[in-house]
Amino acid sequence: MKAQCASHWLLGVALFLCSVHTHSLRRCLISVDMHSIGKSFQEMKRGLQTKDTFQNVTILSTLENLESIKPVDVCCVTNSLLTFYRDRVFKDHQEMSPEVLRRISSIANSFLYMQKTLERCMHRRCHCSQEATNATRIIHDNYNQLEVSSAALKSLGELDIFLAWLDKNHQETPARNLTLNASSD
Amino acid sequence: MLSRLLPLLLTFASLSLGFRAHGTELPSPASVWFEGRFFQHILHWTPIPNQSEDTYYQVALKKYGSTVWKDAHSCREAQALSCDLTEFTLDLYYNGYGYWARVRAVDNSQHSNWTLTETRFTLDEVILTVGSVTLEASNGWILGTIHPPRPKIVPAGQEYKQIFKNFRAYKVSIRKISEQKNLTKTVHQENFRLTVPRGMREFCIKVKPFVESRSNRGEWSEEQCLRLTEQYFTGTHLSIFFIFVLLLCGVLTCLALHCYIRRHSGKLPAVLVFEKPHNFFLADPPFPEISDAIHILDLEAFPKVSPELRDSALHGSTDSGFGSGKPSLQTEDSQLLLPGSQPQIQGTLGNEEPQELPDHCGDNTDSGICLQEPNLHSSMGPTWKQQFGYTHQGQDDSDISLVQNSPGQPTNTQDGSALGHVCLLEPRIPEEKKQVMVTFQGYQKQTRWKEETADPPEHLDKESPLTDAFDPKLGVCLQDDLAWPPPALAKGYMKQESHGMTSAPSGTTSRQWDQLAEGWSLLDDVSCEDLSVASWTFAHQLAPLDCGAAPGGLLSGLDANLATLPLISSLRVEE
Repeated sequence: MKAQCASHWLLGVALFLCSVHTHSLRRCLISVDMHSIGKSFQEMKRGLQTKDTFQNVTILSTLENLESIKPVDVCCVTNSLLTFYRDRVFKDHQEMSPEVLRRISSIANSFLYMQKTLERCMHRRCHCSQEATNATRIIHDNYNQLEVSSAALKSLGELDIFLAWLDKNHQETPARNLTLNASSD
Repeated sequence: MLSRLLPLLLTFASLSLGFRAHGTELPSPASVWFEGRFFQHILHWTPIPNQSEDTYYQVALKKYGSTVWKDAHSCREAQALSCDLTEFTLDLYYNGYGYWARVRAVDNSQHSNWTLTETRFTLDEVILTVGSVTLEASNGWILGTIHPPRPKIVPAGQEYKQIFKNFRAYKVSIRKISEQKNLTKTVHQENFRLTVPRGMREFCIKVKPFVESRSNRGEWSEEQCLRLTEQYFTGTHLSIFFIFVLLLCGVLTCLALHCYIRRHSGKLPAVLVFEKPHNFFLADPPFPEISDAIHILDLEAFPKVSPELRDSALHGSTDSGFGSGKPSLQTEDSQLLLPGSQPQIQGTLGNEEPQELPDHCGDNTDSGICLQEPNLHSSMGPTWKQQFGYTHQGQDDSDISLVQNSPGQPTNTQDGSALGHVCLLEPRIPEEKKQVMVTFQGYQKQTRWKEETADPPEHLDKESPLTDAFDPKLGVCLQDDLAWPPPALAKGYMKQESHGMTSAPSGTTSRQWDQLAEGWSLLDDVSCEDLSVASWTFAHQLAPLDCGAAPGGLLSGLDANLATLPLISSLRVEE
């Protein structure tokens, strides 16, 4: 009788550990210096935002768009935004200043590395909910309402918003590396 | 006509007034910018040219992504060029989108256009500051405490350390008062401790915060100056002082105890207290003539000593060696005689009759050894000595002088003793062995002396002729081919023996005959062996002694082995 209870207890503990392991937040360490990305943006921020003539329109954030993203959808939204910037913003923007162009290139490379590491780290475990999908669609719609160059310019001008959101929703290690949090169902 | 022109005139007037109104629009401020610190968001603008006293500026604010501008009515102050918009931007640290701000000039009913800030005002543009810095200097250290800014308007949960949780750091600048050059160090805690740079007694410190993960600019705090005062009575100094005092007391206590012990332990017991201190340097040495008798002998001055002479004389010695007026004659060439002893030697060469020799041996000290001719009886110890011209001149212990007798020495007269002569070293003995042989003789004597000291002293005057004959034979007779190393100690040792032997009683004839028999047997086999000292072993054989043997059976029967003394061989082995 005692042996039966012990075996049941051990089985329960094993199942519990497996569930915790399965449903635990999977952490993916991305070695990206967020500080250098932010510093690069600050150096070109004035030139980008000054040229933005559409002050009443935003692309990344309607008023509660990114603020309403749940922790469950952080992985999906992060991946979606990284893809957005890689495939649309950086490609659509035409920069004439070499200094600004160099900084944009460095930021683009960092985003590319982050996205590939994220895809390799998550591997089918980064599911997008309906809410996450809606948020991503709004962003794309906002981008599409503007003229491409203006939209790209505005999107580049909103990089600080994206970086702040990343810093808020992901942990930063003492080495200033970004640890992405992604949960699976 | 006028009715037709009047509308034109009115139209022109209205147009001119309108143009004037538009042309006199107030110019807008040239630039508007935010200068924000931690919960201190100040909007600044440049004044318009030719502003009047009634000109004021209108400020509006809009959150990025919103379409509605909000007027900041508190900023409508005449001729004001800045406005605190903190209360309108409290969510700046949680709202990553930022704020747009715009300003226009208003003068009476006129107002200018709006001037917009160039960038969105976000958290990245906030200048980091410190509230205050508390400094303390002690023991060469600078102890500092950095207090973060805490404006009153800060809402709950939005303090500096909560907003900037990680990677807070501060740069600390230390500057000497009289110099402009400063030293900057980075600390990562609000409580820091730095060492005072060398050579600085008066210095000023200021602090600038920053966050390693952010690009926010920092602002230096107000400089605070300190002056280090030399503290002579610090805890460290006092502790060192007390330790030094304790050590000093300990040392003094030890010295006092040591002196006390020495003072009281210096008193010897009464039995050990001598009446007279013996001053070795002042008192006459027992044999002053010996220690002072350093004579540079001239070999040419002394005639060659004939082998007869060599074989004829034996010298007594003091305790440790042979002491004699006659030098030891070891070789024909090295025949050195003490000046004082030479005449005595010569005088005794032809002396066949025993004479009463001065008992110089008796004058010897405890370890004195007097070697005498073997042809003299023990009862004629002194005479025996005299025959050979032995004159003990009070030589010291280490002085060994042995005179060799040539074979057939007429001085070897015995009273019916076959061994009544002294068998001395042969001239043919190699030169390198002469010294050795002399040593050997003396050593032999010592052995003999030990054997006979057990006899009562009343027998000192009587000596068995056999003993006397035997002893010299043993002591003197050395083999030619002996190669004894000449230890000086051995010589002296032998002399002692001879001294003892001279005082052997005469009543022990039988015993002595037994000893002689034993000695004969030993001699036959190997060498002369000390019968009294069993521990001495001998490994060498003595050459047949060219002894001037008196007619007698014993002495003639002695072969070289008889002279082989185990003592010498043992000594040789030791050497």
